Amino acid sequence: MMRVFWTIVAKELISFLRSWGLLAVVLYALTLDVYIAGAGMQIKPRNVAIGYVDHTGGGISRKILSRLHGPEFVPPQRFLSQKALSDAIFNKKILVGILFDEDFEKDYRQGNTAVMNVLLDATAASQSFTTLGYLQSIIMDFSKIDFPVTVKSHKLFNENADNHTFMALSEMLSVITMLSILLPAMVFVKEKEEGTWDIMLLMPIDAKLTILAKSFSQVIIIMVGTIICVGFVLFGSFDISMNGSFWAFVLLTFFYIFTTAGIGLFVAAVSKSILQVAQLSMIIMMPLIFLSGAWTPVYAMHPVLEKLSLISPLRYYIEGCESIFYRGTAFIDLWPYFAGVLVLGSLLYWYGFRKIGKLF
Amino acid sequence: MFDLELKNVTVHYKDIVAINNASLEAKHGEIIGFIGADGAGKSSLMHAIAGVGRFKGEIIYEGTDYHSPKEAERIKENIGLMPQGIGLVLYETLTVGEHLEFFAAIRNLKKNNDFFTYKNKLLQMAGLLHFVDREAGKLSGGMMQKLSLICTLLHRPKLLILDEPTTGVDPLSRMELWEILDDIRSSEGTIILVSTAYMQEAAKMDKILLFDEGEIIAGGSSPELIDSVRKYTYEEVSCDNDKVCFSFDKRSYALYPLAAKYAEPTLDALFFVNALQKKHTLPTMEIGERQSTVTIPKVVMEAKALTKQFGDFVANDHIDMQLQSAQIVGLLGANGAGKTTFIKMLLGLYPIDEGELYLLGKPILSGNDRRELKAQIGYVSQHFALYKEMTVRENLLYFARMHAIGTETALRRIEKYASALGYLQYMDALPGELPLGINQRFSITAALLHEPVILFLDEPTSGVDTIARAQFWQILEMLKVKWGISILITTHYMSEAEYCDRVVLLKEGVKVADEYVDELYRQHPHAKNFEEIFLEYYQ
Repeated sequence: MMRVFWTIVAKELISFLRSWGLLAVVLYALTLDVYIAGAGMQIKPRNVAIGYVDHTGGGISRKILSRLHGPEFVPPQRFLSQKALSDAIFNKKILVGILFDEDFEKDYRQGNTAVMNVLLDATAASQSFTTLGYLQSIIMDFSKIDFPVTVKSHKLFNENADNHTFMALSEMLSVITMLSILLPAMVFVKEKEEGTWDIMLLMPIDAKLTILAKSFSQVIIIMVGTIICVGFVLFGSFDISMNGSFWAFVLLTFFYIFTTAGIGLFVAAVSKSILQVAQLSMIIMMPLIFLSGAWTPVYAMHPVLEKLSLISPLRYYIEGCESIFYRGTAFIDLWPYFAGVLVLGSLLYWYGFRKIGKLF
Repeated sequence: MFDLELKNVTVHYKDIVAINNASLEAKHGEIIGFIGADGAGKSSLMHAIAGVGRFKGEIIYEGTDYHSPKEAERIKENIGLMPQGIGLVLYETLTVGEHLEFFAAIRNLKKNNDFFTYKNKLLQMAGLLHFVDREAGKLSGGMMQKLSLICTLLHRPKLLILDEPTTGVDPLSRMELWEILDDIRSSEGTIILVSTAYMQEAAKMDKILLFDEGEIIAGGSSPELIDSVRKYTYEEVSCDNDKVCFSFDKRSYALYPLAAKYAEPTLDALFFVNALQKKHTLPTMEIGERQSTVTIPKVVMEAKALTKQFGDFVANDHIDMQLQSAQIVGLLGANGAGKTTFIKMLLGLYPIDEGELYLLGKPILSGNDRRELKAQIGYVSQHFALYKEMTVRENLLYFARMHAIGTETALRRIEKYASALGYLQYMDALPGELPLGINQRFSITAALLHEPVILFLDEPTSGVDTIARAQFWQILEMLKVKWGISILITTHYMSEAEYCDRVVLLKEGVKVADEYVDELYRQHPHAKNFEEIFLEYYQ
C-alpha cells in the first residue's frame, strides 16, 4: 500500500523535475514574481515631475517650491503660461502643476486667504494625491495655526510602515493559490493528453490511493516552493520579521494547499487539455482572490461581497498568515483561521476527489 | 518528357539529412507509391514537392522549375497535399458541407455549375452525400479520411500528394479511398504520390519507390521489385547459427543459398532483404519461461452477451466471446464497429451495462473483482503510451512496483527482457527519443512484467515499419507457445489477421463472425486473402 503510494509520488516528482518549462515557471512565480510585486509597488511619491507658473515675482512661492526636492520630487520646472503647463500635464511630462497668480503674494501679505491652484494628473492617482498631501502639510507648516493638538502616531505590526513586505506576502499567497489549483489539475490532465490515462486506470490499485498520491506529490512541490519563497524572498530580500510560529504557518499552508488542490481536482475532472485547465483555473481563481481581501480589505467591500468572502478559503489563509507574520498571534488563538481553512478545505477536497473519482 | 521531375532533392533538418539526392519522374495519370520505414524520408520528400518545406535541388512541374517554397507558389494551385494523421486538415466543429464551402473559399473557386457537379460527384464517391450536415468530429476515422481527401481534391489539383492516407483506416474505407483515387486519376489525369504502410496497396500502384534511411534504394513496378528479391526467398527453414538469415510468415530470407525450396516473395521481402544486405543484425527475439507457475485453464476469459450503450447508441450488442489459453484472437472491424468499447469492457475500464464477464471461471462483479482482473491482464495501447519524462528503466520499474513486484525481481526481469528483445542499450533513454519499433518492444515488456494470463493489444502495429512488425509477431508467437497465455489483438492490417488463430469480426456493434482462420478460408473459397474475406462480410 504505502510502497505504491510513494512510487506514484516519486514518479510525479521525477516528471516534474524533468519538465524544465514547468519547473522554471514555478520557480519564477515563487521568487522573482513575488519580489517584483513587493519591490515594484510604490505608494510614496518618487521622482514626481512638478511644473509651476509664477506670476508673483518670487518670495513666498520660491519658499514653497524650495521644499519640493529629491528623492520624492525632481526640481520643479517653470512654465510661462497656464496653457503651457496644462499641455505639459496632458502630454504626461508633468504630474502636478502649481499656479501662483498675481494676487497670491499680495493676499498672503495682507492677511487674506491666498489661493494656490494645483493641477493634478488624477490618472496617476496615488502619486499625485500623495503629492497633494505633501503640499498641504508644507502650507500648514507656513500658516502656523494656533491649535495646540499634535498627532503622534504609533505604528503597529508593520513598524516600518513598509508596503513592500505586505505586497510581497499577498503576492506569495496568491501565487500559492494559483499553483495549488494548476499543478494538481495538470498531473491528471497530462495523463489524458498524453494518452496514458487508460494505462493509469489499468493499474491494479485503488483509485483513491492514486488520486491521493498524485495530489500529495503536488502538495510537496508547492510546500517546498513556499519555503524557498519565504526564506529567500520574504526573509532574504524584504527582511520581514516573523512574529509568530513558523510551524503554524507551515501547517496552515499545508491545509490550505489541500483545499485548493480540491479545486484543482474538480478542474482536472472537467478538462480535456492543459489549455482548458489554464482557462478554467483563471476563471475560478479570480473571484477567489478578489473576495479574499488580498487586494481590497474585506471591510471595504460591498456588504453582499463581504458575506460572500466568507466562503473564500483564501480569506482565512491570508488573515491567518498576516496574524502569524505581523501580529505574532499565539498558536492557540489562530483557531478561527485553521477552522475556516479546514472546513472549506475538507468540503472542496471531498468534492474534487469525488468528481475525479468518477472518472476512474 | 515527364510532367514531374525531381533532380537531386535533399532535405536537411539542422544536422540531420532527412532525404538525400532523391530523383524521380512521373507522368500524368500515374500513381507512385512511397514505401519504407518510419523516418526513412518519405514525408520530407513529399513536403518538398508540395512546396511547404525547404530543400536543395530542383523540382520541375510541367516546365515550371522551383527550388524553394517561395518559388513553388506559382504552381500551388495545381498541388493538393494531404498530411499524415487522421482528420488533421479538418475542423471538428464544422459540418461536412461547411468544410467544402471553406475549402472552396480559401482556394477562391468559382461557384458555377461545373463546381457544384464536381462537388456532388466527390460527395457521392466518398459516400458522404447523406452526411452533409454532420460535424466532422462525429465522423468515423474512415469517413474523416474520405472527407479530408475530397477537401484536398476540391480545387482539382493535377499533382496530388497523400502522406499515409490509409494508416489507421479500416479495409472497407481504404478500398473506397482507393476507388476515389483511381477515378480521379483517370478522369482528371492527376499525378498521385502516395505513401503507405500496407504492402497490398503498394502492389496496385504503377511504380513503387523504396525508401531507406534517407535514400531511395529501389524503384520499379511491383512485379519488377518482387523479381529482384526472388533469389533470396525460401520456404521457411531454421537458419544456421553463424550466418545471418531471417524467417517470417512461412518464408526464410538469406543472401546465401539455403537448403530449401524457393518461395514466392511479397513486397515485404524487400525490407528483409534490404536489412540483410546492409548487414543489420536482425536480433532474434527470445522470451524465457514465465517465473510464476500458474496453471492456465483452457478458457481464460469468457464474455457472455456483453452490452454497452451510450445514450441511445448501442456500441456493443450482446457479444459473446471466449478467450482460450495459447491462442491469438484477432478482433477486427471497421472504424467505429465497437472494438475499442468491447476491449474497454474486457479491461474493466467501462462498466458493463448488460451481460457477464468471467475471468478464470470467476465472475467479475464488484470493483474489487475488477482490480483483481487488472492484476491478471497485460495491455499494450495504440500509441505505446508510456511516461515520456522517465527513462525506459524508470518506466519499467514504475510498472513493476505498481504490480507489487519486489525491486530485485523487477530489475532482474527487466534486464532479461531488455536483452532478449534487444533494447538493452536504450535503457537510460527517454521514450520520445526512440524509434516507434523500440517503444513497442518495451511497452510490451511493461505489459508482461507481472506475467499476466491475458494480453490485450490495441492496434499495436499501426505506424510501425515492416521489420519491427515481423519481430513483434515473433514475440507474440513465442508468448503463446511458451507461456500458454491468451492474446487478443486488434489490427487494421488484414495480412496480420492471418497470423491469428481465431478471428472475431464486429460490425456496427454486433459480432458477425467468430471462426478459426482456416475455417474462414473454407467458408469463403473465392477469397484470395483475408482482406477479401473481410470485405465480403462488410458489403
